[in-house]
Amino acid sequence: MISFFAQYPEYWSDWTARLLQGGVVTAKLSLGGFALAALLGSLLTWALRSPFAWLRRSAVYFIQGMRALPLLALLLALYFSLPSLGLTLSGFEAGILGLGLQGSAYIAEILRGGLDALHRGQRESAIAVGLTPFQAFTAVILPQAIRGMLPPLLNAYVSILKDSSLCALIATDELMLAARAIASESFLPMHIFLLVGLFYFVIAFPLSLLSRVLEKRFSRGRKSLRG
Amino acid sequence: MSSLQTFFGLLPLLLSGALTALEIALCTLVLASIGGLVLAVWLTFSRSRLVQAGIACFIEWMRNVPALAHLFLIYFGLSYLGINLPAWLAAIVGLSLVGSAVLCDIFRAGLQSLHVGQYEAGLAVGLTRVQILANILLPQSLRRSLPAFANYVTQLIKDTSIASAIAVPEIMFLARNLVTSTFQTSLIYFAVMCIYAAMILPIGLGFIRLERHWGSAR
Repeated sequence: MISFFAQYPEYWSDWTARLLQGGVVTAKLSLGGFALAALLGSLLTWALRSPFAWLRRSAVYFIQGMRALPLLALLLALYFSLPSLGLTLSGFEAGILGLGLQGSAYIAEILRGGLDALHRGQRESAIAVGLTPFQAFTAVILPQAIRGMLPPLLNAYVSILKDSSLCALIATDELMLAARAIASESFLPMHIFLLVGLFYFVIAFPLSLLSRVLEKRFSRGRKSLRG
Repeated sequence: MSSLQTFFGLLPLLLSGALTALEIALCTLVLASIGGLVLAVWLTFSRSRLVQAGIACFIEWMRNVPALAHLFLIYFGLSYLGINLPAWLAAIVGLSLVGSAVLCDIFRAGLQSLHVGQYEAGLAVGLTRVQILANILLPQSLRRSLPAFANYVTQLIKDTSIASAIAVPEIMFLARNLVTSTFQTSLIYFAVMCIYAAMILPIGLGFIRLERHWGSAR
Protein backbone atom coordinates (compact mmCIF):
# COMPACT_ATOMS: atom_id res chain seq x y z
CA MET A 1 0.00 0.00 0.00
CA ILE A 2 2.76 2.43 0.94
CA SER A 3 4.86 1.44 -2.05
CA PHE A 4 1.81 2.11 -4.21
CA PHE A 5 1.61 5.73 -3.12
CA ALA A 6 5.39 6.09 -3.14
CA GLN A 7 5.21 6.22 -6.95
CA TYR A 8 3.33 9.52 -6.92
CA PRO A 9 6.02 11.98 -5.72
CA GLU A 10 8.43 10.86 -8.42
CA TYR A 11 6.10 11.70 -11.32
CA TRP A 12 3.91 14.28 -9.61
CA SER A 13 4.99 17.46 -11.42
CA ASP A 14 5.05 15.86 -14.87
CA TRP A 15 1.67 14.17 -14.45
CA THR A 16 -0.18 17.09 -12.92
CA ALA A 17 1.17 19.48 -15.57
CA ARG A 18 -0.11 17.27 -18.37
CA LEU A 19 -3.39 16.48 -16.66
CA LEU A 20 -3.98 20.17 -15.98
CA GLN A 21 -3.46 20.89 -19.66
CA GLY A 22 -6.08 18.26 -20.45
CA GLY A 23 -8.25 19.67 -17.69
CA VAL A 24 -8.31 23.08 -19.38
CA VAL A 25 -9.54 21.46 -22.60
CA THR A 26 -12.12 19.46 -20.62
CA ALA A 27 -13.32 22.69 -19.01
CA LYS A 28 -13.66 24.43 -22.37
CA LEU A 29 -15.33 21.38 -23.88
CA SER A 30 -17.88 20.97 -21.10
CA LEU A 31 -18.64 24.69 -20.78
CA GLY A 32 -18.96 25.03 -24.56
CA GLY A 33 -21.18 21.96 -24.70
CA PHE A 34 -23.30 23.28 -21.84
CA ALA A 35 -23.65 26.71 -23.48
CA LEU A 36 -24.75 25.14 -26.75
CA ALA A 37 -27.09 22.80 -24.87
CA ALA A 38 -28.61 25.74 -22.99
CA LEU A 39 -29.12 27.68 -26.21
CA LEU A 40 -30.66 24.76 -28.13
CA GLY A 41 -32.59 23.69 -25.04
CA SER A 42 -34.17 27.16 -24.75
CA LEU A 43 -35.10 27.04 -28.42
CA LEU A 44 -36.65 23.59 -27.93
CA THR A 45 -38.61 24.79 -24.91
CA TRP A 46 -39.86 27.71 -26.95
CA ALA A 47 -40.77 25.31 -29.78
CA LEU A 48 -42.62 23.03 -27.33
CA ARG A 49 -44.90 25.94 -26.37
CA SER A 50 -45.34 27.29 -29.89
CA PRO A 51 -48.84 27.59 -31.36
CA PHE A 52 -47.78 25.56 -34.42
CA ALA A 53 -48.42 21.84 -34.00
CA TRP A 54 -45.69 20.79 -36.45
CA LEU A 55 -43.10 22.74 -34.48
CA ARG A 56 -44.21 21.24 -31.17
CA ARG A 57 -44.20 17.77 -32.67
CA SER A 58 -40.74 18.05 -34.22
CA ALA A 59 -39.35 19.32 -30.91
CA VAL A 60 -40.83 16.28 -29.13
CA TYR A 61 -39.37 13.91 -31.72
CA PHE A 62 -35.98 15.59 -31.49
CA ILE A 63 -35.94 15.31 -27.71
CA GLN A 64 -37.05 11.66 -27.70
CA GLY A 65 -34.56 10.80 -30.42
CA MET A 66 -31.65 12.43 -28.60
CA ARG A 67 -32.57 10.65 -25.39
CA ALA A 68 -32.62 7.26 -27.11
CA LEU A 69 -29.15 7.73 -28.56
CA PRO A 70 -25.87 6.95 -26.79
CA LEU A 71 -23.59 9.98 -26.77
CA LEU A 72 -20.72 7.88 -28.09
CA ALA A 73 -22.70 6.95 -31.23
CA LEU A 74 -23.52 10.61 -31.75
CA LEU A 75 -19.90 11.70 -31.30
CA LEU A 76 -18.52 9.06 -33.65
CA ALA A 77 -21.18 9.84 -36.25
CA LEU A 78 -20.43 13.57 -36.09
CA TYR A 79 -16.69 13.06 -36.19
CA PHE A 80 -16.43 10.33 -38.81
CA SER A 81 -19.46 10.63 -41.04
CA LEU A 82 -19.89 14.39 -41.41
CA PRO A 83 -16.67 14.61 -43.51
CA SER A 84 -18.37 12.46 -46.20
CA LEU A 85 -21.05 15.17 -46.35
CA GLY A 86 -18.33 17.76 -46.85
CA LEU A 87 -18.12 19.07 -43.29
CA THR A 88 -14.95 18.21 -41.40
CA LEU A 89 -14.97 18.94 -37.68
CA SER A 90 -12.06 18.65 -35.29
CA GLY A 91 -12.54 16.33 -32.32
CA PHE A 92 -13.06 19.38 -30.11
CA GLU A 93 -15.75 20.87 -32.37
CA ALA A 94 -17.51 17.54 -32.82
CA GLY A 95 -17.36 17.11 -29.04
CA ILE A 96 -19.02 20.45 -28.32
CA LEU A 97 -21.64 19.77 -30.98
CA GLY A 98 -22.39 16.28 -29.68
CA LEU A 99 -22.52 17.33 -26.03
CA GLY A 100 -24.66 20.32 -26.99
CA LEU A 101 -27.12 18.33 -29.10
CA GLN A 102 -27.66 15.63 -26.52
CA GLY A 103 -27.58 18.04 -23.58
CA SER A 104 -30.21 20.24 -25.22
CA ALA A 105 -32.78 17.44 -24.92
CA TYR A 106 -32.16 17.17 -21.18
CA ILE A 107 -32.06 20.91 -20.63
CA ALA A 108 -35.30 21.39 -22.59
CA GLU A 109 -36.98 18.96 -20.20
CA ILE A 110 -35.60 20.86 -17.19
CA LEU A 111 -36.74 24.23 -18.53
CA ARG A 112 -40.16 22.87 -19.45
CA GLY A 113 -40.55 21.38 -15.97
CA GLY A 114 -39.50 24.67 -14.34
CA LEU A 115 -41.96 26.71 -16.40
CA ASP A 116 -44.80 24.21 -15.93
CA ALA A 117 -44.34 24.40 -12.16
CA LEU A 118 -45.59 28.01 -12.18
CA HIS A 119 -49.28 28.73 -12.16
CA ARG A 120 -50.82 30.06 -15.40
CA GLY A 121 -52.31 32.92 -13.43
CA GLN A 122 -48.84 34.43 -12.98
CA ARG A 123 -48.52 35.20 -16.66
CA GLU A 124 -52.16 36.17 -17.04
CA SER A 125 -52.08 38.63 -14.17
CA ALA A 126 -48.79 40.12 -15.38
CA ILE A 127 -50.38 40.78 -18.74
CA ALA A 128 -53.52 42.06 -17.06
CA VAL A 129 -51.55 44.78 -15.25
CA GLY A 130 -50.17 45.93 -18.59
CA LEU A 131 -46.83 44.14 -19.07
CA THR A 132 -45.97 42.96 -22.57
CA PRO A 133 -45.64 39.15 -22.94
CA PHE A 134 -41.87 39.63 -23.13
CA GLN A 135 -41.81 41.73 -19.95
CA ALA A 136 -44.09 39.22 -18.24
CA PHE A 137 -41.63 36.49 -19.09
CA THR A 138 -38.44 38.30 -18.05
CA ALA A 139 -39.78 40.17 -15.00
CA VAL A 140 -42.32 37.73 -13.55
CA ILE A 141 -42.00 34.19 -14.89
CA LEU A 142 -38.25 33.72 -15.27
CA PRO A 143 -37.13 35.03 -11.84
CA GLN A 144 -39.47 32.57 -10.16
CA ALA A 145 -38.90 29.63 -12.50
CA ILE A 146 -35.10 29.91 -12.30
CA ARG A 147 -35.15 28.86 -8.65
CA GLY A 148 -36.56 25.49 -9.51
CA MET A 149 -34.36 25.10 -12.59
CA LEU A 150 -31.01 25.91 -11.06
CA PRO A 151 -30.35 22.66 -9.15
CA PRO A 152 -31.19 20.34 -12.09
CA LEU A 153 -29.22 22.63 -14.43
CA LEU A 154 -26.16 22.22 -12.21
CA ASN A 155 -26.68 18.45 -12.36
CA ALA A 156 -26.95 18.69 -16.14
CA TYR A 157 -23.60 20.46 -16.24
CA VAL A 158 -22.04 17.73 -14.08
CA SER A 159 -23.38 15.11 -16.52
CA ILE A 160 -21.96 17.02 -19.47
CA LEU A 161 -18.63 17.30 -17.67
CA LYS A 162 -18.52 13.55 -17.08
CA ASP A 163 -19.73 12.80 -20.60
CA SER A 164 -17.02 15.00 -22.07
CA SER A 165 -14.60 12.19 -21.15
CA LEU A 166 -16.04 10.27 -24.12
CA CYS A 167 -14.49 12.87 -26.43
CA ALA A 168 -11.18 11.13 -25.72
CA LEU A 169 -12.45 8.42 -28.07
CA ILE A 170 -12.65 10.91 -30.96
CA ALA A 171 -9.10 12.11 -30.28
CA THR A 172 -9.83 15.33 -28.39
CA ASP A 173 -6.85 16.24 -26.21
CA GLU A 174 -8.88 16.39 -23.03
CA LEU A 175 -8.33 15.03 -19.54
CA MET A 176 -9.08 11.37 -20.25
CA LEU A 177 -6.92 11.24 -23.37
CA ALA A 178 -4.04 12.84 -21.46
CA ALA A 179 -4.50 10.18 -18.77
CA ARG A 180 -4.50 7.37 -21.33
CA ALA A 181 -1.34 8.72 -22.93
CA ILE A 182 0.43 8.90 -19.57
CA ALA A 183 -0.83 5.43 -18.63
CA SER A 184 0.55 3.84 -21.77
CA GLU A 185 3.94 5.54 -21.31
CA SER A 186 4.42 4.96 -17.62
CA PHE A 187 2.79 1.53 -17.25
CA LEU A 188 1.16 2.77 -14.06
CA PRO A 189 -2.53 2.70 -15.11
CA MET A 190 -3.91 2.31 -11.59
CA HIS A 191 -2.10 5.43 -10.40
CA ILE A 192 -3.14 7.56 -13.37
CA PHE A 193 -6.77 6.58 -13.54
CA LEU A 194 -7.19 7.13 -9.79
CA LEU A 195 -5.62 10.55 -10.19
CA VAL A 196 -7.75 11.47 -13.19
CA GLY A 197 -10.83 10.26 -11.32
CA LEU A 198 -9.84 12.63 -8.54
CA PHE A 199 -9.53 15.50 -11.06
CA TYR A 200 -13.12 14.94 -12.23
CA PHE A 201 -14.30 14.46 -8.66
CA VAL A 202 -12.77 17.73 -7.46
CA ILE A 203 -14.77 19.67 -10.05
CA ALA A 204 -17.98 17.64 -10.08
CA PHE A 205 -18.51 16.99 -6.37
CA PRO A 206 -18.74 20.63 -5.18
CA LEU A 207 -21.22 21.35 -7.97
CA SER A 208 -23.35 18.33 -7.03
CA LEU A 209 -23.23 19.47 -3.43
CA LEU A 210 -24.22 23.02 -4.37
CA SER A 211 -27.12 21.66 -6.40
CA ARG A 212 -28.37 19.71 -3.39
CA VAL A 213 -28.01 22.71 -1.06
CA LEU A 214 -29.92 24.94 -3.47
CA GLU A 215 -32.61 22.33 -3.89
CA LYS A 216 -33.05 22.10 -0.15
CA ARG A 217 -33.14 25.86 0.23
CA PHE A 218 -35.65 26.40 -2.57
CA SER A 219 -37.95 23.67 -1.34
CA ARG A 220 -37.96 25.07 2.18
CA GLY A 221 -41.49 25.62 3.37
CA ARG A 222 -42.74 22.82 1.16
CA LYS A 223 -43.41 20.06 3.64
CA SER A 224 -42.57 16.49 2.82
CA LEU A 225 -42.92 13.33 4.84
CA ARG A 226 -39.63 11.94 5.95
CA GLY A 227 -39.21 8.82 8.04
CA MET B 1 -23.70 -3.10 -54.49
CA SER B 2 -26.55 -0.81 -53.60
CA SER B 3 -26.46 0.78 -50.20
CA LEU B 4 -29.64 -1.06 -49.19
CA GLN B 5 -27.88 -4.39 -49.80
CA THR B 6 -24.89 -3.18 -47.81
CA PHE B 7 -27.21 -2.13 -45.02
CA PHE B 8 -28.77 -5.59 -44.73
CA GLY B 9 -25.37 -7.22 -45.17
CA LEU B 10 -24.01 -5.36 -42.14
CA LEU B 11 -27.06 -5.85 -39.98
CA PRO B 12 -26.41 -9.42 -38.68
CA LEU B 13 -22.99 -8.48 -37.29
CA LEU B 14 -24.33 -5.32 -35.66
CA LEU B 15 -27.26 -7.26 -34.21
CA SER B 16 -24.86 -9.76 -32.63
CA GLY B 17 -23.23 -6.73 -31.03
CA ALA B 18 -26.64 -5.60 -29.84
CA LEU B 19 -27.09 -8.99 -28.19
CA THR B 20 -23.76 -8.60 -26.37
CA ALA B 21 -24.79 -5.11 -25.26
CA LEU B 22 -28.11 -6.43 -23.93
CA GLU B 23 -26.36 -9.28 -22.09
CA ILE B 24 -24.00 -6.82 -20.43
CA ALA B 25 -26.90 -4.52 -19.58
CA LEU B 26 -28.91 -7.39 -18.09
CA CYS B 27 -26.05 -8.71 -15.91
CA THR B 28 -25.31 -5.16 -14.79
CA LEU B 29 -28.96 -4.50 -14.03
CA VAL B 30 -29.22 -7.57 -11.79
CA LEU B 31 -25.97 -6.82 -9.92
CA ALA B 32 -26.64 -3.09 -9.62
CA SER B 33 -30.19 -3.67 -8.37
CA ILE B 34 -28.99 -6.02 -5.66
CA GLY B 35 -26.13 -3.70 -4.74
CA GLY B 36 -28.31 -0.59 -4.77
CA LEU B 37 -31.04 -2.19 -2.71
CA VAL B 38 -28.65 -3.55 -0.09
CA LEU B 39 -26.88 -0.19 0.20
CA ALA B 40 -30.16 1.75 0.38
CA VAL B 41 -31.59 -0.47 3.14
CA TRP B 42 -28.29 -0.46 4.99
CA LEU B 43 -28.02 3.32 4.74
CA THR B 44 -31.58 3.86 5.93
CA PHE B 45 -31.48 1.51 8.91
CA SER B 46 -27.86 1.68 10.07
CA ARG B 47 -27.20 3.79 13.13
CA SER B 48 -23.44 3.65 12.69
CA ARG B 49 -21.96 6.94 11.51
CA LEU B 50 -19.04 5.05 9.99
CA VAL B 51 -21.26 2.91 7.78
CA GLN B 52 -23.24 5.93 6.65
CA ALA B 53 -20.10 7.92 5.85
CA GLY B 54 -18.58 4.96 4.02
CA ILE B 55 -21.63 4.45 1.82
CA ALA B 56 -21.92 8.20 1.19
CA CYS B 57 -18.28 8.34 0.05
CA PHE B 58 -18.81 5.37 -2.26
CA ILE B 59 -21.90 6.97 -3.81
CA GLU B 60 -20.27 10.37 -4.30
CA TRP B 61 -17.14 8.88 -5.86
CA MET B 62 -19.15 6.70 -8.22
CA ARG B 63 -21.53 9.47 -9.24
CA ASN B 64 -19.01 12.28 -9.76
CA VAL B 65 -16.39 10.42 -11.78
CA PRO B 66 -17.04 9.46 -15.43
CA ALA B 67 -17.96 5.83 -16.08
CA LEU B 68 -15.13 5.67 -18.59
CA ALA B 69 -12.61 6.36 -15.81
CA HIS B 70 -14.10 3.51 -13.75
CA LEU B 71 -13.85 1.12 -16.69
CA PHE B 72 -10.22 2.06 -17.37
CA LEU B 73 -9.45 1.79 -13.67
CA ILE B 74 -10.92 -1.70 -13.49
CA TYR B 75 -9.68 -3.00 -16.83
CA PHE B 76 -6.17 -1.49 -17.00
CA GLY B 77 -5.65 -0.68 -13.33
CA LEU B 78 -6.49 -4.09 -11.94
CA SER B 79 -4.32 -5.86 -14.49
CA TYR B 80 -1.45 -3.75 -13.17
CA LEU B 81 -2.19 -5.27 -9.75
CA GLY B 82 -2.13 -8.73 -11.32
CA ILE B 83 -5.89 -9.23 -11.61
CA ASN B 84 -6.67 -9.78 -15.29
CA LEU B 85 -10.39 -9.49 -15.90
CA PRO B 86 -11.71 -10.16 -19.40
CA ALA B 87 -13.04 -6.98 -20.96
CA TRP B 88 -16.71 -7.96 -20.77
CA LEU B 89 -16.40 -8.77 -17.08
CA ALA B 90 -14.57 -5.51 -16.39
CA ALA B 91 -17.42 -3.68 -18.15
CA ILE B 92 -20.03 -5.47 -16.05
CA VAL B 93 -18.15 -4.84 -12.81
CA GLY B 94 -17.58 -1.15 -13.62
CA LEU B 95 -21.11 -0.45 -14.76
CA SER B 96 -22.52 -2.39 -11.77
CA LEU B 97 -20.52 -0.33 -9.30
CA VAL B 98 -21.72 2.92 -10.86
CA GLY B 99 -25.22 1.48 -11.13
CA SER B 100 -25.43 0.45 -7.49
CA ALA B 101 -24.56 4.02 -6.45
CA VAL B 102 -27.23 5.46 -8.77
CA LEU B 103 -29.85 2.90 -7.73
CA CYS B 104 -28.99 3.30 -4.05
CA ASP B 105 -29.92 6.98 -4.34
CA ILE B 106 -33.14 6.08 -6.18
CA PHE B 107 -34.20 3.35 -3.74
CA ARG B 108 -33.26 5.42 -0.71
CA ALA B 109 -35.40 8.32 -1.91
CA GLY B 110 -38.26 5.84 -2.29
CA LEU B 111 -37.75 4.43 1.21
CA GLN B 112 -37.41 7.81 2.86
CA SER B 113 -40.59 9.07 1.21
CA LEU B 114 -42.52 6.65 3.44
CA HIS B 115 -43.76 7.80 6.81
CA VAL B 116 -41.88 6.50 9.82
CA GLY B 117 -45.21 5.51 11.34
CA GLN B 118 -45.41 2.59 8.94
CA TYR B 119 -42.27 1.14 10.46
CA GLU B 120 -43.43 1.79 14.02
CA ALA B 121 -46.87 0.29 13.34
CA GLY B 122 -45.18 -2.82 11.97
CA LEU B 123 -43.11 -3.15 15.13
CA ALA B 124 -46.21 -2.58 17.26
CA VAL B 125 -48.09 -5.49 15.71
CA GLY B 126 -45.09 -7.73 16.33
CA LEU B 127 -43.44 -8.04 12.93
CA THR B 128 -39.69 -8.45 12.74
CA ARG B 129 -37.63 -5.81 10.97
CA VAL B 130 -37.09 -8.07 7.97
CA GLN B 131 -40.82 -8.75 7.71
CA ILE B 132 -41.61 -5.04 7.89
CA LEU B 133 -39.09 -4.35 5.17
CA ALA B 134 -40.19 -7.15 2.85
CA ASN B 135 -43.96 -6.86 3.32
CA ILE B 136 -44.61 -3.21 4.06
CA LEU B 137 -41.82 -0.84 3.14
CA LEU B 138 -40.20 -2.27 0.01
CA PRO B 139 -43.38 -2.94 -2.02
CA GLN B 140 -44.48 0.66 -1.55
CA SER B 141 -41.10 2.30 -2.01
CA LEU B 142 -40.21 0.27 -5.11
CA ARG B 143 -43.44 1.41 -6.75
CA ARG B 144 -42.49 4.99 -6.07
CA SER B 145 -38.99 4.38 -7.45
CA LEU B 146 -40.28 2.94 -10.71
CA PRO B 147 -40.04 6.07 -12.93
CA ALA B 148 -36.47 6.81 -11.83
CA PHE B 149 -35.60 3.12 -12.22
CA ALA B 150 -36.93 3.20 -15.79
CA ASN B 151 -34.70 6.18 -16.54
CA TYR B 152 -31.73 4.29 -15.16
CA VAL B 153 -32.42 1.24 -17.35
CA THR B 154 -32.50 3.26 -20.57
CA GLN B 155 -29.38 5.15 -19.48
CA LEU B 156 -27.69 1.83 -18.76
CA ILE B 157 -28.37 0.46 -22.25
CA LYS B 158 -26.83 3.59 -23.73
CA ASP B 159 -23.87 3.37 -21.35
CA THR B 160 -22.98 -0.14 -22.55
CA SER B 161 -21.60 1.67 -25.60
CA ILE B 162 -18.76 2.92 -23.37
CA ALA B 163 -17.57 -0.69 -23.05
CA SER B 164 -16.34 -0.41 -26.64
CA ALA B 165 -13.46 1.68 -25.25
CA ILE B 166 -12.06 -1.43 -23.56
CA ALA B 167 -12.66 -3.58 -26.67
CA VAL B 168 -15.83 -5.38 -25.64
CA PRO B 169 -17.34 -6.55 -28.96
CA GLU B 170 -20.65 -4.74 -28.59
CA ILE B 171 -22.42 -2.56 -31.17
CA MET B 172 -20.14 0.48 -31.09
CA PHE B 173 -16.97 -1.58 -31.19
CA LEU B 174 -18.17 -3.71 -34.12
CA ALA B 175 -19.42 -0.58 -35.87
CA ARG B 176 -16.02 1.08 -35.61
CA ASN B 177 -14.35 -2.04 -36.98
CA LEU B 178 -16.84 -2.19 -39.84
CA VAL B 179 -16.20 1.47 -40.64
CA THR B 180 -12.49 0.91 -40.98
CA SER B 181 -12.99 -2.12 -43.24
CA THR B 182 -15.90 -0.90 -45.41
CA PHE B 183 -15.71 2.93 -45.23
CA GLN B 184 -19.53 3.01 -45.22
CA THR B 185 -19.38 5.50 -42.37
CA SER B 186 -22.76 7.21 -42.59
CA LEU B 187 -24.63 4.02 -43.33
CA ILE B 188 -23.11 2.12 -40.42
CA TYR B 189 -23.69 4.86 -37.88
CA PHE B 190 -27.24 5.25 -39.15
CA ALA B 191 -27.77 1.51 -38.60
CA VAL B 192 -26.24 1.79 -35.12
CA MET B 193 -28.60 4.61 -34.15
CA CYS B 194 -31.58 2.61 -35.44
CA ILE B 195 -30.53 -0.41 -33.37
CA TYR B 196 -30.15 1.64 -30.17
CA ALA B 197 -33.53 3.30 -30.77
CA ALA B 198 -35.05 -0.14 -31.39
CA MET B 199 -33.66 -1.37 -28.05
CA ILE B 200 -34.50 1.67 -25.96
CA LEU B 201 -37.89 2.86 -27.17
CA PRO B 202 -39.74 -0.46 -26.48
CA ILE B 203 -38.21 -0.61 -23.02
CA GLY B 204 -39.40 2.92 -22.31
CA LEU B 205 -42.91 2.00 -23.47
CA GLY B 206 -42.79 -1.21 -21.43
CA PHE B 207 -41.99 0.73 -18.28
CA ILE B 208 -44.85 3.14 -18.97
CA ARG B 209 -47.24 0.16 -19.12
CA LEU B 210 -45.71 -1.39 -16.02
CA GLU B 211 -46.15 1.87 -14.19
CA ARG B 212 -49.79 2.01 -15.18
CA HIS B 213 -50.44 -1.47 -13.80
CA TRP B 214 -48.17 -1.57 -10.81
CA GLY B 215 -46.83 1.94 -10.17
CA SER B 216 -47.71 4.27 -7.32
CA ALA B 217 -50.05 6.43 -9.43
CA ARG B 218 -52.63 3.70 -10.02
